[in-house]
Amino acid sequence: MTNAVLDHAPSKGLKAGALGLVATTVIAVASTAPGYSLAAGIGGINEAAGIKAPFIMLLAFIPMGCIAASFYYMNKADADCGTTFAWGTRAFGPSAGWLGSWGLIVADLLIMPNLAGVSGQYLLLLFGAESAAENAVYVTLIGCAFILAMCWICWKGIELSARTQVLLLGTELLILTIFAVVAIARSFGDGVTRVVDGVEYSSVSPSLSWLTPGGLSTSAIAAGLVVAVFAYWGWDTAVSVNEECEDSNRTPGIAAVMSVFILLAIYVVTSFGTQAFLGPDFVVDHQGDAVYAVGKEALGGFFNKLLIISILTSAAASCQTTILPATRSMLSMGSHGAAPSILSRIDRTTLTPALSTWLFGAVACVWFVGLALISGGDMLIADYNVYWSSIAAVGLAIAFYYGITGYACVWYYRKYLLKSAKNFVLIGALPLLGAGMLTYVFVKTLIDAASESYGYGKTLGIGSVLFIGTILLVLGLPLMLWCRRRFPAFWRITPDPVATVPDPYGDQGPAAPLGTYRKGE
Amino acid sequence: MSKPIVVGVGADGSGSAAVLAAARVASMMGTSVVVVFGYESSAMGPRGGSLTAEVATLGESAVGDAAAAIAAVYPELSVETELVPDRPVESLIRVAEARDAEVIVVGHGGRGPLRGALLGSITYEIVHRAPLPVLVIPDTENSA
Repeated sequence: MTNAVLDHAPSKGLKAGALGLVATTVIAVASTAPGYSLAAGIGGINEAAGIKAPFIMLLAFIPMGCIAASFYYMNKADADCGTTFAWGTRAFGPSAGWLGSWGLIVADLLIMPNLAGVSGQYLLLLFGAESAAENAVYVTLIGCAFILAMCWICWKGIELSARTQVLLLGTELLILTIFAVVAIARSFGDGVTRVVDGVEYSSVSPSLSWLTPGGLSTSAIAAGLVVAVFAYWGWDTAVSVNEECEDSNRTPGIAAVMSVFILLAIYVVTSFGTQAFLGPDFVVDHQGDAVYAVGKEALGGFFNKLLIISILTSAAASCQTTILPATRSMLSMGSHGAAPSILSRIDRTTLTPALSTWLFGAVACVWFVGLALISGGDMLIADYNVYWSSIAAVGLAIAFYYGITGYACVWYYRKYLLKSAKNFVLIGALPLLGAGMLTYVFVKTLIDAASESYGYGKTLGIGSVLFIGTILLVLGLPLMLWCRRRFPAFWRITPDPVATVPDPYGDQGPAAPLGTYRKGE
Repeated sequence: MSKPIVVGVGADGSGSAAVLAAARVASMMGTSVVVVFGYESSAMGPRGGSLTAEVATLGESAVGDAAAAIAAVYPELSVETELVPDRPVESLIRVAEARDAEVIVVGHGGRGPLRGALLGSITYEIVHRAPLPVLVIPDTENSA
């Protein structure tokens, strides 16, 4: 790892241009973690939308791409590491910023058990320990170790070099493509029929109609989308980071567009492959380890090991986009005086927010073990409710804080929306469309999930997605009120006056520091 | 004008032995000292804003402490400080080149051999990359 630091150097002027573009695209795609997202989410999408999963993958991109535009523009006004927290406060005031940030932390927290679970499971599968991979105790222990290891990496501030990432991601995409192409190729014609665990599955010939919504109910679309937004989650972070690219203002834009097409292609192709090979029912029945199960039947042996390895590295990359934003948000809230200042304490050696990182890791472990206990060890069985429904709950939390970010962008820049057609579309229409779609998914899922018949079963008499998602989101209210009483100074901050908002294409630079505008001053 | 001595410090007090050594060399050569603190937050995930501000505060106190430590021993010496928002190695080399420095002074020993190998060592990298002489001073005490 000694060379990691050396490899990083070329972005500083020496070899700008080509490498800059590739490296930026790689960071954007890697932080979305396609391999892991598929392993964790494809079962849920197939369950909600059946054979139309590729359409859901296509559709889910729209709100995520739109919200990425708002990340891009809000980042121009204020590149605060608290993202939604700082931007929500600027547009709508302290309470909106605080709650939006809470949504972000909840989303990141909710995904940890899944991230850890998938890692624990696939690590055991790598060594052929299939029975151990269904043992909740082993998976939970390995998963907790994984969470702590990832927190350690974030605390240490260790980064993979751009070159290492290109290598890892290249392998991941190559393996996923081989996997998908083999699965699709073998499913044409007579296809294959396999008896797995006493159930007979047959392949389905791929059809372009999988990319159309025909026959899907709005409930099914919403249920699929709430899982699928999770697949694109992480991409936005790269957009705001890319702003710091050395060369020109063109590279980040091209990199963003390229990474989108790569993601779209890989998601659509692999969702075709997984469901074509033995039909969508097989994916749903093996929801816990769908990619592995299909890979084992389609590729077998050596290539399946590679597939597992790429999912594991992808999960590790994914932790960068969960732990980092959550701890940076906590830091930002602490340092702006919206939460206890201890959260913003920086470790003097590693220069990272130490307490926030370990607090997040500890709560994530408790949450993971708690889920394992509630489920009574059944958590890895496909139709088990609480554990897998947490992915849908993550979708709810993402929809919540992305929605706030989208609305914040439109409202914050309201003065400039009519200045040019470009402004109107990129800063106004797209963020509004994205936020609107996410609000729809959020509300629709809440209503549907209230019924016990919603795909993921029930907890304490109500739908478990609703239970997990809303309980945690609603918990933010009393917490916010407590902070509001303790830190009244922060709640005297007003939204930025519209006259002070800098033109995103002007040369005024960023907005005045958060907290410049206060009541009674 | 004589070429200055550039020395790097960490926010954890590492490099304090290097700072005094740099001051001693500067005083012998009749030149000045530039104390550098370089910092960069993660390339993935959000950055900027409050994190940068917090780290910069730590850096200011680190270079301030270093300047005070030099003034206590060599009150006549001219000391400048620089905070560079870049990786420590890049920061040191950039400042040294821009100021046409005589030598870069860095500490060594903040990380043990194993941790150094795993995490990368600023000292190791700078010795191999710097286009000018480098003076490595072992940290005699690991003050936190």
